[in-house]
Amino acid sequence: MENERTFKRGRKYTNGEITVFWKPDTCIHASHCYRELIDVFDPGKRPWVDMYGAGTDEIIETVNMCPTDALTWKWNDEEKNADIDPAQTNHVNFRRPELLSSTTEVYEEPVSVKVMPDGPLVLNGTFTVLYGTNKKEVRESIISLCRCGASNHMPFCDGMHRKVGFIDN
Amino acid sequence: MEDNREIKPQAIIEVQDNGPIRITGNFLLSDSKKDIMESPAEVWLCRCGKSGNKPYCDESHKK
Repeated sequence: MENERTFKRGRKYTNGEITVFWKPDTCIHASHCYRELIDVFDPGKRPWVDMYGAGTDEIIETVNMCPTDALTWKWNDEEKNADIDPAQTNHVNFRRPELLSSTTEVYEEPVSVKVMPDGPLVLNGTFTVLYGTNKKEVRESIISLCRCGASNHMPFCDGMHRKVGFIDN
Repeated sequence: MEDNREIKPQAIIEVQDNGPIRITGNFLLSDSKKDIMESPAEVWLCRCGKSGNKPYCDESHKK
């Protein structure tokens, strides 16, 4: 099928105008995509991306919200990729600054601790996480932690909140 | 250029065994659904899904 071809451990989807790349390994289940554009990004469907569910502009806008490079995009017309606006951070050619290894910073910005509605806790910045009985310590830059209690990969989110219908009260 | 920002220690995220997530240091907590945007010195966040005061822990995990 032309619309959904495997690339490495990911997939790509196109509407003829743009191609959206999906790398499941880097998804942290922040859930921006399906919250913003369920007509295109629906985790309950297979394939879960329907490139004809919305217009190209809306799809680009939503892909740009992805906090990792799990979702990226590019124009199919390669000439249009040459003068891409760097603000369109999830373009496949653009490397997000926060995903590059941090260099010298005089002041560290506060770590963003974002409670996703009916979803996980998404942490972004420079921080240390301690977890497990032996208090495993890791320095991370972006992770999502389970808030629904149903993850099979504690303390991290594995997307189970959707399956169990977790709702913030 | 003068910079008057308060210098806080780096954020530490501590996942308690069978308990909540404790966060200290330099962080900004936001919750759009609950209209929260704050930088307290310390916060305890629910991760069992049962708290009656989400996103905060209310000790429901012990029940």
